[in-house]
Amino acid sequence: MTARRLCSEWTEINPDEYRGIWVYMQVDDGEINEASLQLLGQARKIADELETYAAAIFVGYKVKNLAKEAIYYGADKVIVVDDERLSKYTPNLYGDIIYRLALKYKPESILIGGTMRGRELAPYIANNLRTGITADLTMIEVNKETRDIILIRPPFGAWMLAHIKTRDRKPVMGSVRPNVFPTPEKDLSRKGEIIIEEVKEVIDPKMELIQYIPIKKKEEIPIEKAEIIVSGGRGLGSKEGFNLLKELADLLGGVIAGSRKAVDAGWIPHEKQVGQTGKTVKPQLYIAVGISGAAQHVFGIREAKRVVAINIDPDAPIFENADYGVVGDYKEIIPALIEEIKSIKKTKK
Amino acid sequence: MGLEIIVGIKWVPNTTSVNIDPKTGTLIREGIPSVVNPHDLTAVEMALRLKDRYGGRVTAISMAPPSAIAGLEHVIGMGVDRGILASDRVFAGADTLATSYVLAKVIEKIGDYDLIIMGHETIDSSTAHIGAQVASWLKLPYIYYAKEIDYNEKEKSIMVKRILENAFEIYKIKLPAVVSIAMHTYEPRRIKISNKLRAKMENLIQVWTSKDLDIDVNCAGLRGSPTVVSAIDFVPKVPRKNEIFNEKDPRKAAKWLIQKLIEEGLLDP
Ligand SMILES: Cc1cc2nc3c(=O)[nH]c(=O)nc-3n(C[C@H](O)[C@H](O)[C@H](O)COP(=O)(O)OP(=O)(O)OC[C@H]3O[C@@H](n4cnc5c(N)ncnc54)[C@H](O)[C@@H]3O)c2cc1C
Ligand SMILES: Nc1ncnc2c1ncn2[C@@H]1O[C@H](COP(=O)(O)O)[C@@H](O)[C@H]1O
Repeated sequence: MTARRLCSEWTEINPDEYRGIWVYMQVDDGEINEASLQLLGQARKIADELETYAAAIFVGYKVKNLAKEAIYYGADKVIVVDDERLSKYTPNLYGDIIYRLALKYKPESILIGGTMRGRELAPYIANNLRTGITADLTMIEVNKETRDIILIRPPFGAWMLAHIKTRDRKPVMGSVRPNVFPTPEKDLSRKGEIIIEEVKEVIDPKMELIQYIPIKKKEEIPIEKAEIIVSGGRGLGSKEGFNLLKELADLLGGVIAGSRKAVDAGWIPHEKQVGQTGKTVKPQLYIAVGISGAAQHVFGIREAKRVVAINIDPDAPIFENADYGVVGDYKEIIPALIEEIKSIKKTKK
Repeated sequence: MGLEIIVGIKWVPNTTSVNIDPKTGTLIREGIPSVVNPHDLTAVEMALRLKDRYGGRVTAISMAPPSAIAGLEHVIGMGVDRGILASDRVFAGADTLATSYVLAKVIEKIGDYDLIIMGHETIDSSTAHIGAQVASWLKLPYIYYAKEIDYNEKEKSIMVKRILENAFEIYKIKLPAVVSIAMHTYEPRRIKISNKLRAKMENLIQVWTSKDLDIDVNCAGLRGSPTVVSAIDFVPKVPRKNEIFNEKDPRKAAKWLIQKLIEEGLLDP
C-alpha cells in the first residue's frame, strides 16, 4: 500500500505506539455517571482482546476518592487529574486536559458516555487530536491482527449498520448513549494502579460557569426503568394524542414515551425519546402507537420483553418487530382498550 | 457596532427513513426533497433575534453541493443578510473532522465575526460534532444546548443559559465564541418572499471553492476524513411473534390484544 499524503494540519503520529483503551469518567455531584461505568465494561472487553490495559480517566476537583470505584468496575489503571482550578466544568478546560493526557500516554482508543456533556466534550478532544470520532456507536469490534477498532452504528435510515474504521489516526474515539451497554458487575477484589497527574498550567477557557440551577423533576419513573411503556409517534398527529396514551399508561401502571418524530414535533420531551439517539428501554411491555418502526427506533426496544404495535398501515415495519400487532386507527383502538381494561377491572371488584 | 453572527446550516433530505435498494444495497435518495436541517432554523431564529436586539449582521454558511443554495435562499428569506456556500468536488465524502475543517476555513476567511451559532444536531447524521470541532480548529470557547443568549457590548461577552439533562447552567463567555442552540428553543420565523427574492437580485450568496479558501485538499473530503465506512451489514432482528390482528372492529381488536396480554401474564385479569 502506498502511503497517502496526509492532511498538513495533522501532527505526525506513529499508530504503533498507541496502546490502551480509555474511558472518560464523567462525575456529577460527586458520583460517577452510570454511562461511564457501562463503558468501562466495554473497555475491559476490548482491552482483553487486544491484550492491553483499560483505563479510567478522571478530571475535576475532589474526584480522587472515586478512583478505586473505577477499578472495581473493570479499570486496570486510573489516571486522575484532581485540581482546584478544575472545580467548575467548561468544555474547553476539561477537553484540553484530556487532550494533553492523550498526547502523553497515547491510548489507542477513548470512549466517552453520550450524555449531554459527553457529547459536547468528545468531538473537541477528538478534533484537538486530529482524529476521527463516531457518535452513538452501538457495537464495538476489534481485529487482533490489524488492531483496528471498528465502531458500529446504525446509519441513515433502513436496516443497516455502518462499520466505521479510523484510518491513519489514533486514538479511535467514540461516544455511546447511556444504557446501550449494561453496567458491569462491581468486583471489590479487583486491583489496579492509580496514577495521579499534576497539571502545571491550565488554559484560560475564556468562559466561566456563573450559576448551576438543578431542575426539580416531578417524581416520575424514568422510561429506562419503567416496566410498562406506552409510546407514541408521528402517527398520533398532535400533542393531544399523548393524553390518550397517558390515560392508557396510567391504567396499566406504566409511563409514556415517544419516537424521535414525536420529540421533534415538540409533543414529548427529549428525555422520553426511545431509540438510538434517545434511550434504550427494557420494559416487560412496550406498546408502540403510531410509530413506523424505523431501525433507529427499534434499536431502543430490542431489550423489551413484549412489543405491541398499533398502526393504521398494515405494511408498517413495526409489525415485523412486534409480538402482537393491531392494524387500525389509534383513535379507535386506544379508547376501546381503555374501556375494555376498565370493564375487566370493574367485574373483578 | 452590533454583532457579527455566523450561522452554520446543513441541507438535508427531508426524511430520516430513507430506504435501501435491497438489490444494490445503496441508499435510494431519488425523489426525496431536501430542507434546511430543522434544528438549524432554530439557530437562525436565535441569530436573527440577537440581530433584532443588538444590531449587526447574520451570515449563513454551509458546506454542500450547489443544490444547497436553495437552503441559503430560504434562510435569507427569514432575514439572514447573506449566505456563503463552500462547494467543491474535493469536499465530497467528508466526515465531521473534514467538514469542520472546511467550515473553519470559511469562518477564517470571513474574518470579522463575534459569534458562531450552530444547530443542536442534524437530522441526517445526528452527531452534534461540528460545533465543538469548529471551536477546536479556531481555538475558541464554546458551549452547547443554549436556550438564551444576552450580549454585553462593553465587555464583548455573552451570558448563555443552557440546558442539561437535569439542570440549567449559566455561563459568561468572551467573544468570539461558538454556541449551539438547544432544539425547539424557538419557533423559526416564516420567510418573506421579498427577502428571498433579494438573494438572487442582490447576489447575496457567494460560492467558495477550495482555491478561494486556500485549502489543503488532503484535509478536505474523503482524504481528510480519518473515519471511513469499512463495511455495512443489516441490523440483527430480535425474533418476535409477529401475530397481527387485522379486522375493522376496534372492540374485537382490544379484546384480542388484552386476551394475549393476560395469557402472557402482562396484565392482571
Ligand atoms: C442518525 C439518526 C438517529 C435517529 N435516532 C432515532 C431515535 O433515537 N429514536 C427514534 O424514534 N427515531 C430516530 N431516528 C428517526 C427514525 O429514522 C424515524 O424517522 C423515526 O423513528 C420515525 O418516527 P415515527 O415512527 O414516529 O414517525 P413516522 O415514520 O412518520 O411514522 C408514523 C406512523 O404512524 C402511523 N399512523 C399514522 N396515523 C395513524 C393513526 N391514526 N393510528 C395509528 N397509526 C397511525 C403511520 O402509518 C406511520 O407508520 C433517527 C434517525 C437518524 C438518521
Ligand atoms: N455541512 C455543514 N455546513 C454548515 N453547517 C453544518 C454542516 N454540518 C453541520 N453543520 C452545523 O453543525 C451542527 C451540528 O451538526 P452535526 O454535527 O452534523 O449534528 C448543525 O446543526 C449545523 O449548524
